[in-house]
Amino acid sequence: MARDKEKRICGQVVAEWRAFLWDPRTRQFLGRTGSSWGLILLFYLVFYGFLAGLFALTMWVMLQSVNPHVPKYQYRLLTPGLMIRPCAEGLDVTFNVTQSHTWEQHVRALHQFLESYNDSVQAARNAACPAGRYNEQPDDAVPNYPKRACRFERSRLGPCAGLGPHGDYGYGSGRPCVLVKVNRVINFFPGKNKSINIVCAAKHEEDAALLGPLNLFPPNGTIDLMYFPYYGKRVHVNYTQPVVAVQFSNATANVDHHVECRLNAAGLRTDDERDKFAGRVAFRLRINRE
Amino acid sequence: VKELEIKYGTSATKGLSEAEAAARLQRDGPNALRPPRGTPGLVRFGRQLAGGLQCLMWVAAAICLIAYGVQRGQGDRGSSDNLYLAVALIAVVVVTGCFGYYQEFKSTNIIASFRNLVPQQATVVRAGQTLQVNAAELVLGDLVEIKGGDRVPADIRVLAAQGCKVDNSSLTGESEPQTRSPECTHESHLETRNIAFFSTMCLEGTATGLVIGTGERTVIGRIASLASGVGNEKTPIAVEIEHFVDIIAGLAVFFGATFFLVAMLIGYPLLRAAVFFMAIVVAYVPEGLLATVTVCLSLTAKRLARRNCVVKNLEAVETLGSTSVICSDKTGTLTQNRMAVAHLWLDGQVLAADTTEDQSGEAFEQRSASWPLLSQVITLCNRAQFQPGQEGVPVAQRDVIGDASESALLKFAEVTSGPVAAARGRFPKVAELPFNSSNKFQVSVHEAGPQQLLVLKGAPERVLERCRGYLREGEEHPLDPEWRRSLEGACLELGGRGERVLGFCARWLPPGSVAAGTPPEALAEVATGLCFAGLVSLIDPPRATVPQAVRKCRTAGIRVIMVTGDHPVTAKAIAAAVGIISEGSETPEDVATRLHLPLEQVDPRQARARVVTGSELAALAPGALEELLRTHPEMVFARTSPQQKLLIVESCQRLGAIVAVTGDGVNDSPALKKADIGVAMGIAGSDAAKQAADMILLDDNFASIVTGVEQGRLIFDNLKKSIAYTLTKNIPELAPYLVYITASVPLPLGCITILFIELCTDIFPSVSLAYERAESDIMHLRPRDPRRDRLVNEPLAAYSYFQIGVIQSLAGFTDYFVAMAQEGWWPLLVLGLRPRWEDAHEQELQDSYGQQWTFAQRRYQQYTCYTVFFISIEVCQIADVLIRKTRRLSLLQQGLFRYTWVCIGCFLCYCPGMPNVFNFMFQWWLVPMPFGLLILVYDEIRKLGVRRHPGKTHLGTPWIPGTHLGTPGPHLGTPGGTWNSPGTHLGTPGPHLGTPGTHLGTPGPLPPPLDSIPSPHPPQIKAQVTRPGVCRCLLLVERPKNPKRSPRNHQKVTKKRKTLNT
Repeated sequence: MARDKEKRICGQVVAEWRAFLWDPRTRQFLGRTGSSWGLILLFYLVFYGFLAGLFALTMWVMLQSVNPHVPKYQYRLLTPGLMIRPCAEGLDVTFNVTQSHTWEQHVRALHQFLESYNDSVQAARNAACPAGRYNEQPDDAVPNYPKRACRFERSRLGPCAGLGPHGDYGYGSGRPCVLVKVNRVINFFPGKNKSINIVCAAKHEEDAALLGPLNLFPPNGTIDLMYFPYYGKRVHVNYTQPVVAVQFSNATANVDHHVECRLNAAGLRTDDERDKFAGRVAFRLRINRE
Repeated sequence: VKELEIKYGTSATKGLSEAEAAARLQRDGPNALRPPRGTPGLVRFGRQLAGGLQCLMWVAAAICLIAYGVQRGQGDRGSSDNLYLAVALIAVVVVTGCFGYYQEFKSTNIIASFRNLVPQQATVVRAGQTLQVNAAELVLGDLVEIKGGDRVPADIRVLAAQGCKVDNSSLTGESEPQTRSPECTHESHLETRNIAFFSTMCLEGTATGLVIGTGERTVIGRIASLASGVGNEKTPIAVEIEHFVDIIAGLAVFFGATFFLVAMLIGYPLLRAAVFFMAIVVAYVPEGLLATVTVCLSLTAKRLARRNCVVKNLEAVETLGSTSVICSDKTGTLTQNRMAVAHLWLDGQVLAADTTEDQSGEAFEQRSASWPLLSQVITLCNRAQFQPGQEGVPVAQRDVIGDASESALLKFAEVTSGPVAAARGRFPKVAELPFNSSNKFQVSVHEAGPQQLLVLKGAPERVLERCRGYLREGEEHPLDPEWRRSLEGACLELGGRGERVLGFCARWLPPGSVAAGTPPEALAEVATGLCFAGLVSLIDPPRATVPQAVRKCRTAGIRVIMVTGDHPVTAKAIAAAVGIISEGSETPEDVATRLHLPLEQVDPRQARARVVTGSELAALAPGALEELLRTHPEMVFARTSPQQKLLIVESCQRLGAIVAVTGDGVNDSPALKKADIGVAMGIAGSDAAKQAADMILLDDNFASIVTGVEQGRLIFDNLKKSIAYTLTKNIPELAPYLVYITASVPLPLGCITILFIELCTDIFPSVSLAYERAESDIMHLRPRDPRRDRLVNEPLAAYSYFQIGVIQSLAGFTDYFVAMAQEGWWPLLVLGLRPRWEDAHEQELQDSYGQQWTFAQRRYQQYTCYTVFFISIEVCQIADVLIRKTRRLSLLQQGLFRYTWVCIGCFLCYCPGMPNVFNFMFQWWLVPMPFGLLILVYDEIRKLGVRRHPGKTHLGTPWIPGTHLGTPGPHLGTPGGTWNSPGTHLGTPGPHLGTPGTHLGTPGPLPPPLDSIPSPHPPQIKAQVTRPGVCRCLLLVERPKNPKRSPRNHQKVTKKRKTLNT
């Protein structure tokens, strides 16, 4: 058998393939007649139509279990992520004090970010909340009633508010500010009713001296509990994320500083090896001077 | 001789001294053929690592490593996934390579162990003493003695010989035995008569000779080292698997390349596209398949071993299943290989004796008044006796001293008329004349109280010469012509059954007529005027299980041909007894007798059966044998030589058959080797036969072959199931990548998870399918045609891929989207999310609720998705393994949980808490359930359709036996034209059993003639869908004359109807 196959010459093979492609005698295309192909097509049309229906039905049934306001599960978000502004590439805040073009982008980014924190905007949109406790707004009778957000005025950030004539967040003077923000997570109650704050330090203790003193705004890097919980973007429309500004008032120039900020709250793990951004954020700071 | 003595430093009478022999052994090495060096282990191992699929995997691993390297180079420390994957892939290749190597190693070891099983002994004269030594210890100059039945232990210069004949067929191909004598007859040492060659068989006679060559330096050693490179032919299953691997590898590369291009066109960077290619290859290649196949085969081999079939080569298991012709030896295989009393003739009647092995048959009537005398003659006129000390042993199994016929008579007497020894004690022997070939009778005289009794047995005509009267109803009557005629008739009838007929007679003598110590010759004169007591006929009876087994072969579409060296009459008789020549079929000779025509005028084509002798065979023109085989469905070859056996096997193979040959002798070994599967006898078989065979029957029983065939077919079916099961999940493994690339969703299923499915969880169920019991009609199908009935065919692949696989994929995606939605990523957001999702610098990606996710959190979610998708596949695979249990029968018919293995497999792999299921959530198992149920229901409907409409031609492959979608009845497809007796195997009945009103179909279509296969389709399709009110079905009625109609359409019809009916 096998030998017979080998003996067949090339032309025959081609002819066979051509006959397979289109056999004019039996009017078969790829070994089937048109009506046969048609039937197969029809079958698969019906079959897949049915499957699509089943898929849609199952999806629909299962999506009924999804609440549009509150996620069903939040197992991945036990610890919110931390992030800094300016959000430089590779979390590397490097600039030259004397060359303004190296830091103007950072300033611009910060301006943009803090725009919605302007006192006027906050006063207009948001409510003044009692400090020091969670701003819980249970749904009484009316489900998913729109929630009020608490004010976070830009002016609280002191020198890092970027207000005033210069408004360069200290970049022009070599005392740069970096904002630290906590990721939004719905129904997240940090700190177990005790106050929480952001702590920043040099990543390696021996570098602390080079990094110099850090000024935190609001003082102590405190994040007031009134900014929690978050109720989701639908009902909590004007929610303003709390931020903490870190000012490096006397960092040694021309040196790489590795800085790490952590969210210090009772019952919150910030040492997850796998997630370097869970409850903490590390970045590099380098201030160049001539 | 002197020259030789000097040349080899030995003595032609005393041989070598022990010390000299030891020294020479040291110098020349043992006298054994070095096993063919062939391929060293490393190379063979390397070959295991370089198969088609393995190469693909290597490429995939390489791509992974490159991707990892590039990522490292770009300073991305985030993911070592590619590294892990590369390591996993390499591990997979190496581990499966080790597995394959181990299997190969084991099977070569089995063969080697067979060789070592019986170390050959040689009789050697050393220092004047005759010793038995291991043949491997022979050295040059040794003086050896050989006798008939021995294998020549080395190349030997014959010094003295008595009627020595050797079989050189393994060396020269000459099949006739060759004489060996001391004279040199030819210059060439291959031709000369005075050299016997290593490894040839000495058939008869004895010889003494000097060893002139050992081990590799023998003639055969030189040939063996030349021929070691010749490869074996591939077994059908190996061809099937290769075919399958080719297809899979081709498709994998095709898909991979297509999506590589698509990805490039969409605008992915080259590296990413390469990674996609890799992932698709990993998803598509069934990594665990080869292991599964090997395990399935070795399980069956084990099962066969329990039933007395030892399989030397794993793949031979399946070959047996596709066997379409069995050429069986007679003696020992079909028969019991012992003589036994088959019939008696007394009082003018033929009585049948019990010939079963264990005396379980019915005893004959012993009421005749003539019987006591006959039994006395049988008992007394017999020199055989039982070996002492066998009182507890059943008569049939006792060892006897004496020749075959006498033993048979002795046992017969012991069973029918009580202890022989006691009877002989009561009638002490006075004198006797033993049987010899010129007299052809045997006489003995016994004291019988006051008289003497003379008893005589022998060839009937000789016995009759000495008779004066005959016994009827215990009375003696004088001979008359009528009685003579009836005696002759009986002799002819029994002789015609291939039985050996003996006559028995006796005479009472006055006391002292014969004195003790009378010379035997004198007895012949006394023994006249006797009274004829009866006839007894002997035969080597067929084994009790054989007729049943032959019938099974017939229904299974396997043709049994008897090839024997025995006499044609006996061969024909046995063939008729076991059913090889079935009742009612005639040979040309029979036709001639019936029509009272001379044989020449009978058209042989009128006869179904035919007995061909070796001499007739030798006179046939080339090609005539094929013609004979084609014309006569029932064939017996008698008086055949080994060469002719080979010829018969080859002719069958030329007709496209897969031939199994059974045999025991050395002379069978060429045929055994030539056969697609050679079956040697374990008890009676010679070493040469066992070595040439692929399989060994430990109990020498033909019925075991049928078991083997059944197992072989079963394993083919089960492998098919296993592969269908394995293939199905390739689609849900592949689909995530396709969607990932085209719809840019976060990856639903990772490569590692795919490997986990392939190599861990799915191995058990797919192996468990090998334990599946046969669906009832497995032995009613004709053997598969290896050219048409592939292991993996179009319908099977289409059904697995495009139907079940698609359902599984949808289950996976449903579960995936739901799991994502419940964590905050709604389906619409998920589409197109991939670039941002996979951006390692993005730590605050917003979900549908406004929450922000870090990269690691998203990655964790992605892993969860892997788990979810994995669970969905597994849930559907549970349904899949259940539907694959049967191909035609409903699960409810076959029993849902009858097979512990499937259950254990399911439990082991799919139980919650297996390592891969990182976090278990019941809901993830719940979502795919409807899809699993759909698979079950859908397949039940398909099976219902298949059962109700068997034998439907479809998909242009009209008679694939048990195609997946298929016809239970290939036998309905091909009718005569080939060998099977028509009408023996119509399998499941065609008529529709449907509820009234549902089916108006005609009964099952009769087999259309072979040449009209693409003929108009039976009107069945039209009829079955004419139920009014099912309008959608009517759509399909529009095409009545479509022979290649898809069965799926048809199923769909059934399905529609079903849904509407319920």
